[in-house]
Amino acid sequence: MININRVVGLLTQEFFITLRSLEVIIDILISPLTSLVIFGFLALFLSGTNIFIAHGLLSGVLLWQTIFIIQYSVSVGSLWNIWSRNLSNMFISPISLTEYIFTYSISGIIKAGIIFLLSSFLTLIIFHFNILSLGLLNLLLYFVNIIFFALWLGIILLGLIFRFGTRIQAFAWGVLPVFQSLSAAYYPVSILPKPLQYIANLIPVTYVFEAMRENLVDASVISWNLLITGFVLNIIYFIFAVIFFSFMFKESKRTGQFTRLEG
Amino acid sequence: MTDVILKVENLVKNFGKFRAVDGISFSVPRGKIVGFLGPNGAGKTTTIHMLLGVTSKTSGSISYFGDNFDTHRETILKRINFASAFNTLQNRITVWENLVVFSLLYEVRNYTKKIEELCNHFEIESLFHKRYNDLSSGQRTRVNLVKSLLNDPELILMDEPTASLDPDITDKTLTLIEKLKKEKNLTLLYTSHNMDEITRICDEVIFLDHGKIVAQDTPLGLTKRVKNAELRLEFDGKEKILKKYLNEKKSVFSFPNPNTVVVKVEEKKIPEIIFGLSQSGVWITDIEVIKPSLEDVFLQIARSKKHDKY
Repeated sequence: MININRVVGLLTQEFFITLRSLEVIIDILISPLTSLVIFGFLALFLSGTNIFIAHGLLSGVLLWQTIFIIQYSVSVGSLWNIWSRNLSNMFISPISLTEYIFTYSISGIIKAGIIFLLSSFLTLIIFHFNILSLGLLNLLLYFVNIIFFALWLGIILLGLIFRFGTRIQAFAWGVLPVFQSLSAAYYPVSILPKPLQYIANLIPVTYVFEAMRENLVDASVISWNLLITGFVLNIIYFIFAVIFFSFMFKESKRTGQFTRLEG
Repeated sequence: MTDVILKVENLVKNFGKFRAVDGISFSVPRGKIVGFLGPNGAGKTTTIHMLLGVTSKTSGSISYFGDNFDTHRETILKRINFASAFNTLQNRITVWENLVVFSLLYEVRNYTKKIEELCNHFEIESLFHKRYNDLSSGQRTRVNLVKSLLNDPELILMDEPTASLDPDITDKTLTLIEKLKKEKNLTLLYTSHNMDEITRICDEVIFLDHGKIVAQDTPLGLTKRVKNAELRLEFDGKEKILKKYLNEKKSVFSFPNPNTVVVKVEEKKIPEIIFGLSQSGVWITDIEVIKPSLEDVFLQIARSKKHDKY
């Protein structure tokens, strides 16, 4: 059961931290927008007359930003409290673990939504590409998949941080680029060497990016096979992530690591 | 029947092969302030962490208000709170913002008024718009205390809350605790290394050492267990006679200054010593009896090799 007051409390803290932290603003606003502009011009330069390549790259950047911001919010959100030695205070309050994860997920989705709207507008103005040209339903289905992907990845990383402490905090930023390269966000899976293609097929968002490239040619097509495969994989990983996180959290409290996180 | 707020039974915590807390049992009655004392590494903090649910126990049970903590975590945490000089709040945001966040987490009604009232009492209204990170340690402790009182808790666990406060604010904090206890029947589990504080506010003291409870009594009861007091006498001449008399009585004594002797003696034997010395012709010019303090009890336990029940 989710208590809305406590969720609002934690969201309020997230809002205040975001407002007062230049790092967060740079990480979730300046960096993504800068990347978009760089990738956009690079795409125009490399694609020549084939505009689909440029659009594919821009769509990939826009969707990947969403994944990054949600995962970042879930994993790094707790680090702000750990760095402040405030995490114990949070868990000494009546907030439940479910409410805690739920709030950071909501916070990530809200932030990602705002940045996505801003980036999409920027893409339209600078590169004359409308992301809605992929089809509204398609976009919705992509979002369901990428949100799940970002959440389970963020939850697993948070579990590792709770269990092993800030010595592995770099994972919060460092793991996503590995998935970025393997999930073929900016190029077709077929470009990858064969062994990497097998790995790519195990990553749910690979199917989203493949579907997206199909939609660039024809927005009226919904690639159900790809999107459902991605969704099923996401659900399996999400269930695993929740079990994994729950185990890591218990281990953190059993070993005393939870209170040492702030030491 | 006494209304027990917190009941701990056979609480054990192992970290691998190391047993940090070794089967302790105690209860905290409503309206009482229980001091939790012990040397560093005695298991106080681990116990407090288990009582707050941020470290899991190996075995034993913890119940608040008659409900098991494992199964009623949320409802129990609404009714208790925690303050420590060592935990800080979110340092990126302001004092006001921190207190608003915790008010929402504890579902405090009319929290603006509540925050203003508490901050007014602790004289920190001027800090509202300062970032927590920019506060001095004393100011931080006061903000932490305000946070711990936001939800009108029935029990507060305090881990050295006055560790970095100046004497004036320490006194105000203790006065507030005494007032809250009187007016709201507030219950406290209080750890501190300041024995004067413990003696002043605690109704009962639990001494912990090597993970076990080695003594449990009122502060007065504990000090009475140390039988020897110090008798400080100033005298005029005749040191030889004085030495002879004290040696005959097999007393332990020393001369910190010329014409001053300090005798370690059971309290009940003090009149006999003074009378005996006077009869022997020693002219006593000043008498001071230094009664055993909680600090003496603490030192005696901490330095004791045995950890039998004290």
